[in-house]
Amino acid sequence: MARKAKTAQAKLALFDRIFKPKTMTVGEHTVLKPRSRTWLILLTLIVAVWGAVIVTDFDFGIIIRRGYQFTVILKKIFNPDWSYFHKVLPPLLDTIKMSVMGSFIGCTLALPFAVLASANINHNGVFVAVLRVLLNIVRTLPTLVIASICALIFKLGTFAGTVAITLFTFGLVTKMLYESIETIDMGAFEAMEALGATRFQAFWSGCFPQILPTYLSHSLYSFEINIRAASILGYVGAGGLGILINERIGWRDYEGLGMVLITLFAVVLIIDNTSQYLRRKLS
Amino acid sequence: MIEFVHAGKTYPNGVQGLKDVNLTIEQGEFVAIIGLSGAGKSTLIRTINRMIDATAGKVLVDGVDVMSLHGKALRRFRRHIGMIFQSFNLVTRSTVIKNVLTSMVPDMSFFRVLFGIFSRQQEMAALAALDKVGILDKAYTRCDQLSGGQQQRVALARTLNQNPSIILADEPVAALDPVTANQVMSDFRRINQEMNITILINIHHVDLALDFADRVIGIRAGEIVYDGPVGSVTQEVLDSIYNGAPVPKVADEQTAKAAAEIAALKASLNTSAKEAQG
Ligand SMILES: Nc1ncnc2c1ncn2[C@@H]1O[C@H](COP(=O)(O)OP(=O)(O)OP(=O)(O)O)[C@@H](O)[C@H]1O
Ligand SMILES: [Mg+2]
Repeated sequence: MARKAKTAQAKLALFDRIFKPKTMTVGEHTVLKPRSRTWLILLTLIVAVWGAVIVTDFDFGIIIRRGYQFTVILKKIFNPDWSYFHKVLPPLLDTIKMSVMGSFIGCTLALPFAVLASANINHNGVFVAVLRVLLNIVRTLPTLVIASICALIFKLGTFAGTVAITLFTFGLVTKMLYESIETIDMGAFEAMEALGATRFQAFWSGCFPQILPTYLSHSLYSFEINIRAASILGYVGAGGLGILINERIGWRDYEGLGMVLITLFAVVLIIDNTSQYLRRKLS
Repeated sequence: MIEFVHAGKTYPNGVQGLKDVNLTIEQGEFVAIIGLSGAGKSTLIRTINRMIDATAGKVLVDGVDVMSLHGKALRRFRRHIGMIFQSFNLVTRSTVIKNVLTSMVPDMSFFRVLFGIFSRQQEMAALAALDKVGILDKAYTRCDQLSGGQQQRVALARTLNQNPSIILADEPVAALDPVTANQVMSDFRRINQEMNITILINIHHVDLALDFADRVIGIRAGEIVYDGPVGSVTQEVLDSIYNGAPVPKVADEQTAKAAAEIAALKASLNTSAKEAQG
């Protein structure tokens, strides 16, 4: 304990040695009040933003010169071509199908892997570490990259998209889930082991009921994200609305694009709200 | 019968939890284990069901060296030993009966466990176990809606449902108020008497230990410093168990009230025990 306190003090020391803390006196007792660090944080932030502007060649001029184009395009988008709706429907259904299937399969696969990746359930440290590295790799790959690889392997179309969404969901939900599993109360697990259960039985009967609501909530959340992710996968040929979006932009048909986006917006809104409602019920 | 033969436990960090322990506990005894925090009480009872591995000597249960058990044999061995915890260790989100039913899980097939399918017979047995500890009416309530005392009874029912011949209880009443603690202790006493189950209890309440147990084991820094019937525990014995520090006598109103209740409970227990015998 004493050593811990000392290292904590040592950490504060650099700043506090330069800017001496103020001594507050109350009667006969005193306490040291460290100087405010806000200005230091602000300064760092300004330097960082300035650095970023230089590094990225950010040009304020172009925003002023070409910015009006935004309003031109936006005006067209907000004046959608309603007759285009019948063309939007089939790829929209594809998008929904991809995200439903991808979320479902991904979440199902995530459960056993999350259990194996939880250090409190799986005591084989090496196994846990290796598994987590693999999961990190899966999660580092952007969905679009996965989708283009899948499109190469499985030919263009919704199947490639489904695989991409599955992998993405799997990486995301596994991580969220094993982090939840590691915070659960292990009491019931201990009791189950003491009465002669195997590790699987102890987890399933003692821990799973605790994480079930979290698991469902994570799954719904991933579905919310996936409907959006699925809508751009078409860009790399993996089916769904993305194909249409890409095509409309290419043809400068912003009225058609408006129709696609409005449909997507409505679907996302409905799914988000339903999912959020369900998640609130769960917690 | 539980036997410790020169048993010892050295933790990986070098701490000696148990030193050369020699003990024999017969079937049906009610033993209270007392001692300071860190004396080794938990270590002692956990070496019996191998939640902790002894590192020296032998621990024998019905003649079987528990250190020789592994995998399936160990799990089968644990089926006969119930364990009760200070923090109850229930699945609080599940109903009371589901918790009691979990004690059947080790005997079930993979798919029954996976889908939580229990037979009607198992359900009736679980209800009977709940009835034994007097909380049948809570069977279909969620555990997190119960009081601490009720939750400890659910844990007791879960253990009874396992049909154990030994119950190990690690500070089962530490989280309970004095009156509830008494009730839970008398549950233990009744189970001990009616079903001839060996009971080992770690307990910090010396008065409860003396009131309910038959035999007291005092442990200090991993060593047994007292082992004898409740009747011969004197103030000196307690002082030596608790490191020579005199045990403070608490005499506030609440303890007085609790003492009165214990007396009443004991009286009723004695009569019911006599009735059972006669
Ligand atoms: N996992 C462990 N690793 C290392 N040392 C441990 C471990 N568990 C217990 N100990 C040590 O072994 C000794 C006995 O611990 P034990 O838990 O048996 O005490 P206890 O009598 O049950 O105490 P309490 O009344 O606080 O529950 C203590 O000194 C403790 O620090
Ligand atoms: Mg303990």
